[in-house]
Amino acid sequence: MSKGIIFAIEEFAVHDGPGIRKLVFFKGCPLRCSWCHNPEGLSFKKELMVSEASCSHCEKCREVCFHEECQGFGRCVKVCSQRLPRIVGQQYEASELAKILLKGKEVLTGSGGGITISGGEPLAQPIFLFDLISHLKPVHIAIETSGFAKKEIFQRMVSEIDLVLMDVKHTDPKIHKKFTGVDNDQILENLQFLSMSETPFIIRIPLIPGVNDTLMNMGKTAVLLKDSRNLLRVELLPYHQTAPAKYEMLSKQFTPGFDTEKMVNFHTEVFKKYNIKVCVL
Amino acid sequence: MNERIKILLCNVLQKKHHLFRQNINIDELSEFTLNMKEQKLSDVQRAKKRLSWVLTNEIPVILPHERIVFTKTISKIPEIFTEGEWSNIKNEHYIHEMGRVCNISSNFSYTIEVGLEYRKTEVLKAIEFHSAKKNKKGVEFLLSILQSIEDVETLSDRYAQKALEIGREDIYFMLKKVPRKGAKTFHEALQFFRILHFTLWASGNYHNTVGRFDQYMLQYLEKDLDLGILKYDSALELLEEFFLSFNKDSDLYPGMQQGDNGQSMVLGGVDENGYDGFNLLSELCLKASLELKLIDPKINLRVNKDTAIEKYDLGTELTKVGLGFPQYSNDDVVIPGLLSKGYSLEDSRNYVVAACWEFIIPGYGMDIPNITALSFTKVINTSIIKHLENSKDFSSFMAKVRWEISEELSSITTSLNNIYMEPAPFQSLLMNDCIEKAQDISLGNRYNNYGIHGTGISTAVDSLAAVKKYIFDEQSIGAQELIAAVDRNFEGYRDLWLKLKYDAPKMGNDDEIADNIAIELLDIFAELTAGLVNEKGGCYRPGSGSAMYYLLHVRDIGASADGRKKGEPISANFSPGLNVKLNGPVSIIRSFSKPDMKKIMNGGPLTLELHDTVFRNPDSLRKVSSLVKSYMDMGGQQLQINAVNREQLIEAKKHPEDHKNLIVRVWGWSGYFVELDEMYQDHIIQRIELNV
Repeated sequence: MSKGIIFAIEEFAVHDGPGIRKLVFFKGCPLRCSWCHNPEGLSFKKELMVSEASCSHCEKCREVCFHEECQGFGRCVKVCSQRLPRIVGQQYEASELAKILLKGKEVLTGSGGGITISGGEPLAQPIFLFDLISHLKPVHIAIETSGFAKKEIFQRMVSEIDLVLMDVKHTDPKIHKKFTGVDNDQILENLQFLSMSETPFIIRIPLIPGVNDTLMNMGKTAVLLKDSRNLLRVELLPYHQTAPAKYEMLSKQFTPGFDTEKMVNFHTEVFKKYNIKVCVL
Repeated sequence: MNERIKILLCNVLQKKHHLFRQNINIDELSEFTLNMKEQKLSDVQRAKKRLSWVLTNEIPVILPHERIVFTKTISKIPEIFTEGEWSNIKNEHYIHEMGRVCNISSNFSYTIEVGLEYRKTEVLKAIEFHSAKKNKKGVEFLLSILQSIEDVETLSDRYAQKALEIGREDIYFMLKKVPRKGAKTFHEALQFFRILHFTLWASGNYHNTVGRFDQYMLQYLEKDLDLGILKYDSALELLEEFFLSFNKDSDLYPGMQQGDNGQSMVLGGVDENGYDGFNLLSELCLKASLELKLIDPKINLRVNKDTAIEKYDLGTELTKVGLGFPQYSNDDVVIPGLLSKGYSLEDSRNYVVAACWEFIIPGYGMDIPNITALSFTKVINTSIIKHLENSKDFSSFMAKVRWEISEELSSITTSLNNIYMEPAPFQSLLMNDCIEKAQDISLGNRYNNYGIHGTGISTAVDSLAAVKKYIFDEQSIGAQELIAAVDRNFEGYRDLWLKLKYDAPKMGNDDEIADNIAIELLDIFAELTAGLVNEKGGCYRPGSGSAMYYLLHVRDIGASADGRKKGEPISANFSPGLNVKLNGPVSIIRSFSKPDMKKIMNGGPLTLELHDTVFRNPDSLRKVSSLVKSYMDMGGQQLQINAVNREQLIEAKKHPEDHKNLIVRVWGWSGYFVELDEMYQDHIIQRIELNV
């Protein structure tokens, strides 16, 4: 019995593992990637999120209310006719969450699909994660992770999961630290374990213009991966301009620290050189 | 697509053939009608005479590069009754739509196989038989058919003559064979079909469906391939030209909106012995539609539990281009449904889809599958006002709902009496048994059942779910309070409105409360229609389609207990309500496969809207196919998927001139977005906002 916090469940996620999948997003992440698309996944706490775009400024949500769930957020999330203010972050028991995710299981398994656990960083809620996994089995489980976790946790995850989708954001420790807020030594050590494991995996590289899309970084990444036993492919996810959208909704500032207008370089050839399959999402 | 087809496609898109359309003088048409009245002609004679007038006045047009000819130049046809006569008829009779035979499926294949000359000998034989029996009316009907056949032959001769004049001997020789003789080649069969279909439109019949084209045309294709007359590419070329012919005159066809013309083609499905009939021609048709990207013919794909995922993939490829079809129908649900209403096994297995989605039988069906509609939203509203306060629990309230549905059904069906339809001698030639019996198809055939659309099903279910949860289970809202709130369109009931709109259980979210109510409500609909008999001795067929009623029915009802305000649209077809925040496609297909759709056998699809980015790579295409297959395997009846992009639609509304070819699914058919009335455009945009 363990509790965790998530911020969304998506049905029919088509880019996150084989077949028809439900995708659950764990809330909370130890990294602070400056390009992050899901800022509501950063904090481990519930947050207020407001889609201001179609707001008519009736100000009703600023009036005092006594709803339990609104307390402490300074806005009422019940009164808006469009429900624009909402609280992101729901706490669940692992078994309870598994039950929700497994509703319609036959659609998922019938198509060779299953559940994908994403985030935030799923490995940052390890007890909840392993509890959830135990409730989801034997359905196919995939995970999307930054790889930033203690090696015991990471290795246990690799042994229990059917498919790992892991990010490699940068091979250079300094640049990694500058743009993600954490060192990459733990990540690279975990990557090495993964690449020698029996578990199939996919490497994802968010292509950030001028940050990691250099020939040198791509080349180094390819070298790290070249002897992997179960690498299915490398997926390149070019940065796109929609990233800042959610920051405003959370009253946060988007400070990318790189030139968002710049074109990204793909350098797919360096992966092909080592016979690594590569595709762009 | 080869160069010749590209040119022909370009001509159709640029409407070059419209130049040949004749200016029709309205006075001349009225005079023609008046003349018929003064001559005291019977209705059958008038119908025959109208067709003669149209075919005689047609001017043969053979466009450069065309190999399949017949283009409409008469843009308006005369009425057979004067206004005065028609209003008298309307006073005495129930008139369905325009009062003409429509929305049925012809047996084209028999006539194409044997030719018109042979059909004439059959008619003559029947004349002899019925003369001997002194069946005067029957003989008059048969003579009308004879005349119509001759009119078709004469026009065909004039086309042949024209071909000769402009040096198109190929067309000349073709028309010297068909339509008099039966078709021998695929090309001849396609030309023959075009002539028959053209003539149906010319005779004033509409929603002329295409039927199981891949089944009845396959023999010609296979023979040509065997003999080396055609290869795969040349067959595809012919088929593409044939497909283009459906788009030439479609702006002249009657319908609620541009595009609502009923030219639906059915592919795949089991044959009369229950074996899968998907074949080479089915595949070619999908390919032709994919390459042309035109709204006609509208592709329907029949599937069943044995349909391989690869065949769904072919359908998904077509969905991807954004035509709003194929529409899928599930044999495993549809056929038992037809059987339960007395259709024979052979006929049931041969079902096709009418103009939109209703299941009908080619050759034998004179069903009117869209004759009326039951507004579920209205019934539930009435039930709440009349009975909610007096009901002690939810099940006793549902008993009252049942009673109200029964009342409403008898109210909408009692008006369906003494129906009158203009005779359709030429259409009768293309239906089975009409010649032998000397009876016009307008008077009925083997199947004479009436379909009742069930509109606003999800809106009704959501309203009931709110009632169950808040009035009875939680008792957090009082009956009086709910009635007053709905009555006042939620003015002064903001909190209650938001609770109903956002927090109540909704159909489409795999919610037990809502879905169990849907099962119960549809079972009630099926049980109550089961006892009804129409004036032709046929049954009533309950359905889940809404057609245009999803907007029309809104005019008669106020707000509803699901939090929908007055004037907002109710759910379309068998799809979630428009104000519902949906969990996603998995929950949707789960919810909508729970009711027993074998009983709701008239048809009416679930519509899924998926963002067009989902269709970008082959991997995710397969996932869409799996989703469709899952729905069918779980007992879904009919499904149609749209690949949509909301921004594009908004842009198209602003700048229609830049988006002339943008195609969307409206209710049972696809049309050009910019040609739709604004109310339909807005509804489509709203539908997408919540669904993707």
